[in-house]
Amino acid sequence: MEISDELKEIDENLINQLNRIANDKAEFWDIRAKVNNGTTLDFINQKSKEISSFEINSCGIRAFKNGGWGFSVLKDLKRESIKIGLQKAIKLARLSESLTKIKFKIAQNRPLIDEYKSSRKKNLEEIDIHDKINLVKNHEKIAANYSTYVKNTHTIYMDGRSQNLYLNSFGSNIIQDLSFLRLFCIVFTNKNGATQSSVNSVAGIGGYEIAETEKAINLSKKTAKEAVELLDAISPIGGKLTVIADSKLTGTIIHEAFGHACEADLVLNNESVLEGMIGEKVASEDVSIIDNPSMGQGQQFNLPYELFGCYYIDDEGIPSQKTKIIENGILKNYLHNLETSSRMKVPPNGHGRASASSERPQVRMGFTYLEPKDWNLEDIIEDTKEGILCEDFQYGYTDPTTGNFQFKCRISFKIKDGEKKEIMRDVSLSGMILEALNKISAIGNQKTFNYSVGMCGKGGQHVRVCDGAPYIRIEDMTVGGLN
Amino acid sequence: MENSDIHSLAEFCLKLVEKENSEIKYTDIFFEKSNYINIEIEENSIKNSETGEDNGFSIRVINKNGSLGFSYSNKLDRTTIEKICKIAIKMMKVATPDPDFKKLPGSFKNYPAVKGLFDKNLKYLQIEDSVDYINDLIKICKDDEMAISQSGNFASGYSKIYIFNSNGLNVSRKDTSCLISSNIIVKDKISNETSSGYERQVERRLDKINAIKVANLALEDAKRNLYRKKIKNMKVPVLLTPKGTISLILRPIAAAVNAETFQYKRSFLVGKRGQKIGSKFLNIEDNGLIDGAPGSKIFDDEGVPCKNKKIIEKGNFLKTGLLHNSYTAGKDGVQSTGNATRSSYVSIPSIGITNFNMKPGEMLSEEIIKDIKEGIFLDYTGDSPNISTGDFSGLILHGNLISNGEIKDPLNETMIGINLLDLFHKIDAVSKDYRVYGAFQAPYVRISSVNIIGGAN
Repeated sequence: MEISDELKEIDENLINQLNRIANDKAEFWDIRAKVNNGTTLDFINQKSKEISSFEINSCGIRAFKNGGWGFSVLKDLKRESIKIGLQKAIKLARLSESLTKIKFKIAQNRPLIDEYKSSRKKNLEEIDIHDKINLVKNHEKIAANYSTYVKNTHTIYMDGRSQNLYLNSFGSNIIQDLSFLRLFCIVFTNKNGATQSSVNSVAGIGGYEIAETEKAINLSKKTAKEAVELLDAISPIGGKLTVIADSKLTGTIIHEAFGHACEADLVLNNESVLEGMIGEKVASEDVSIIDNPSMGQGQQFNLPYELFGCYYIDDEGIPSQKTKIIENGILKNYLHNLETSSRMKVPPNGHGRASASSERPQVRMGFTYLEPKDWNLEDIIEDTKEGILCEDFQYGYTDPTTGNFQFKCRISFKIKDGEKKEIMRDVSLSGMILEALNKISAIGNQKTFNYSVGMCGKGGQHVRVCDGAPYIRIEDMTVGGLN
Repeated sequence: MENSDIHSLAEFCLKLVEKENSEIKYTDIFFEKSNYINIEIEENSIKNSETGEDNGFSIRVINKNGSLGFSYSNKLDRTTIEKICKIAIKMMKVATPDPDFKKLPGSFKNYPAVKGLFDKNLKYLQIEDSVDYINDLIKICKDDEMAISQSGNFASGYSKIYIFNSNGLNVSRKDTSCLISSNIIVKDKISNETSSGYERQVERRLDKINAIKVANLALEDAKRNLYRKKIKNMKVPVLLTPKGTISLILRPIAAAVNAETFQYKRSFLVGKRGQKIGSKFLNIEDNGLIDGAPGSKIFDDEGVPCKNKKIIEKGNFLKTGLLHNSYTAGKDGVQSTGNATRSSYVSIPSIGITNFNMKPGEMLSEEIIKDIKEGIFLDYTGDSPNISTGDFSGLILHGNLISNGEIKDPLNETMIGINLLDLFHKIDAVSKDYRVYGAFQAPYVRISSVNIIGGAN
C-alpha cells in the first residue's frame, strides 16, 4: 500500500522513543494519526451553494494509568509534536488517576500488525470534478422536473479518503485506508400552502461506483416522488394501535431503542435499562439481534461496495466481528470497547469507535440488525384488522435510563381489514423498549430484509452506522398525531 | 503561529488569487486558532482529562458571475496554503453562476464595544485548576441517598479568529467560554425505578460557574421525574419550563427567521411578516451585544458588526425580523444583520443566532402554576417541530401533571401535538423569572389549551 509521507514519519525509531517516554509512567497508550482529504458539492435549486475541497491532518494520543485516562489532541503530525503530545497525555492520565475512585487495568491484548485498504473500483481522486458536478446537477434536474409541486431541491455529494495509523503500547501498528462516498437528496413540495418534504441518501465504503448503482441513480426521483405523495397525506389519529414497520423503521428502532442500551459504557454508568440482564429473557423468542460491522457484507445486498457502518478494525485496534446481542429473546452480550471489556472481564468485541482522531473512542454500534423469520409482507398486512403501516423515519430517540422511545415516521398507511388504505404523514410512535420487544407479533422473512445507512450521534460524536431488519408487526403501540 | 505570520499569510493568499485568476471579484480568508481543556466524570468519578489545540484556515473565492469556490486545511505551511488557494479557484471555475451573490462586506469604521467576552483566566487555565468544579459535582451526587451515578464535564476554550477580505476588511477577535454539565441518575431502592436529570451552564468568565447549583438542579430534575405514570387523553393548559420554551418557541423561531430558510420558503413564517403571529406575550429579540453573554460577538463570522434586532413585538412578526448574512442580505437588497456563522474554519458562513431572548413577564412562575387547576408541566421533549409547516407532535420525556396548582406525578408515554402558530396565539402568561441556556434566554410560558395523548387509554 502507498502510505502518505506524513504517516511515514511515524516510524520504528519514533515508536521506540515513545516507548521510552511512556516506560513505567503509563500502563497503556495509543495514538491515532489521520490524513484526510475530500470534496463536498452542495446544490440547492440547481445552483451550487458550496463546491469545496479539504486536506486535514489530525492526531489524538491517549495514555492510561490505573483507571485514569489522559488525552491530548494535536494540530499536526510532526515527530516532535507527537512526543510532546504523549508526554502531555501521560501527565493528564496521572492527574485523572490521582482523582478517580474507580480503579482498573486495561487487559493485555495480542498486538496486531497489519495494513488494510478498502477496495475501490473507481478511485475518487481520479474522477474529474466536472463529472461529479454533472452527477449532482442531473439529480437536481430530475427532482426539479418531477412535478410542478416541487418547490425546492437540495442535493449534497460528499466524498473522502482517509488513511489512519493506529499504534499502541501492546505493539499494534495498523494502517487502515478507507474511501467513502455519500449522496443526499432532499425535496420540498408545496400544494395549496402546505409544505411537505422527503429525504434519502446512499452511502458506502468504496469508490465512485457507489454513485453509479441503481439505488443511487434513482435517489432524486424516489425522493421527489415521496415528497409529492405526502402532499395528499392526512394527519394521523392518536391512540393505541397495531403497527407494521418496514425494514428502515424497524432497523432504526432496533438501533435507537435497543442497541444503545447494550452499549457497555452506558451499562457501567447505570444509564441502561439492560444493566444486570445478561442471560435473561428481554424479548419474545423470535427475536435475535446481531451487530456485525465486518467488511465483506456488501455483496449480500448486491452492492459493488462495502456497507457504510463497517470497518476492518475499530479505533482501538480490535478487529470488527459478529456479536450476538439477543439470541431467541435472551440477552447474550453487551457491546464493548477496551475499557468496558477489561472492567467486565470479557474479551473486547470491536466497538471502540471515535468520530475523529481528535475524539476519544466510545462504545458504538456498527451494523446492527434483527434476524428475519418467516412472514411474507402480504400475509402480515392481510392478517392485520386495524393498524398503521409505517415506512421510513424522520428521526427517533430513546431515553436509555427509562427505556421510553419515540419515532417520527415519514410515510404511513392506514391498514383496515387486511388492506393498505390512505397515506398519512408525521405519525409518531412511542413506547417502552422492553415492553415493545415483547409485543412483536410477526417478523418478516429474508425477502423483506433490508439495510439502511446513517450517522449516529452520542456524546457529541457522529459515527457512520448501518442497521438492518425485516418488516415486523408490533401490537399496542402509542401513536401520536396532531388530531 | 504569531499574529504577524497570520497577517503575512493572508496577504500572500490575497495576492496569489489575484495573480492566478483575473475573474475573481471577492476573496475572504478565515484563520482560527483554538485550544481547550476538558475534564470528564463517569460513574460519579473522574474518568478523563484532555487538552487539545487546532489551527486552520479557509479561503472563499467568488467571481463576477457569483460562482463560489471554497477550500480549507489545517496545514499552514506555504506549500499547502498555495495549493489550497489554487484548489479554491478550481472549485470556483466549476461552480454554477449565482446572480444573487451581490458582495462581501467592506471594512467597517466602528465596531461595538461588548464587555466580558474574553477572560484571561480562561485562556491560561490549567486543567489542574478546574478539578474543584468537578469535585463539587461529585460531592452533590455522593451525598444524596437516591443518586446512584453521574456523568458530566467541565470544559473551557479559547479561540482567536482573523478575517481578511479583498475589500480591505481585516479584523480579529478573541473569545473564551467555559461549560459545566451534570447528568444525574437516581434510583428508588425499593421499586428499582430509575430516572435521570440534566443541567448545564455556559459562561464567558470562569468566576460565574456554579457547579453546586448545576448538580443540584440536575438532581432536582431527576427526582421530579421518578414514579412516572401513564395518563389518559386530555385537553388542558401546558406550562413550558425554560427548557420547554427553548424547544417549542425559541429554537423553532430562530430556525424560521433564518433568512436562508425563509428565502427558500421552507419556513412556516413565510408570508407572515408584518402580521400578528402570537399573543401579546410573545416578544423576541436577537441581541449580540449583551456584556458577558454566551452568544455575544463584536462581529460575525464575515466581519460584520453584531447588533440587537427585534424579531417579534407583542406578537407581531416585524418586517425587519429576519437574520441575515451577506449573501441573503444581498439577495433581499438589505444590510447584513451580522448573523453570519461558521462552526469553525471548515465551514462556509451560514446564518445563526447571537443571544436569542424571549422577554420575561410580570408574574413569578410559582404564581402561574398556582393558577392551574389541571395541566401539564412540560420540561423536555426530544422532538422538534417541523419548521416548514410549524406542526409539532412529540413525546414528553420530562414532564409532570399539574393538579390544583401543584406539580405532581411525572409522565410516561405521554405525547403532545399542536401547530406552533396555534401555540403562539395561546400563550396567556409569561414568567418574570427566566433561565439562560447558552445563547437562549427563556422564561416559563403558559399555553392555554393543548391536546395531550396519554398512554393509559
